[in-house]
Amino acid sequence: MAAGLPTEGTNAQRPRAADVARKDAPTCGLKERLGDVRDRVRARGWDSAVVVNEERVVLGLLRTKELDKDPVQLIEQAMRPGPSTFRPYVAIDEIAHFMVEHKLENAPITTSDGRLVGLLLQGDAVSPPPEAS
Amino acid sequence: MSEPAGTMEKCSRCGRSIELCACCDELDCGAPICYACLNAALGQAMPQPHAHGG
Repeated sequence: MAAGLPTEGTNAQRPRAADVARKDAPTCGLKERLGDVRDRVRARGWDSAVVVNEERVVLGLLRTKELDKDPVQLIEQAMRPGPSTFRPYVAIDEIAHFMVEHKLENAPITTSDGRLVGLLLQGDAVSPPPEAS
Repeated sequence: MSEPAGTMEKCSRCGRSIELCACCDELDCGAPICYACLNAALGQAMPQPHAHGG
């Protein structure tokens, strides 16, 4: 479960973070320019991006506030470093409670070794799409 | 174990002093929670019987 692999059994019907997280969330590297990343991210209709290394290990996060910083900055200067992450097996209703209480617009879902599984949006956590269950 | 210097918040569940909320990474969180309590609440880790882990 911690590696985000499929599960089976009666409890497997309960939606989990990995089922709902957006696997197509935009990613970027540390040495890219914020303005370039912002243009690319917003052109795809997103307002956040996950900063990863070559092995897709999460290094940071760019939410709306960070994307609005000076466009000439490098990602490593602008990002929110070491963001809180959640494991793929956590039940979605439990994460939703924390995301609402702490006003998190999104949260990275990672394996136990830090690799990105997807980006969980608060709206998806609160009202999971039917195909997630 | 002594508390770290310059702590700003207390965990709303266990009262441990923390610098930032482990969930939202914010200083002015309304319901700050420590890393241990967050992970225990989400089933990402087992709760420790005592704060010192013994």
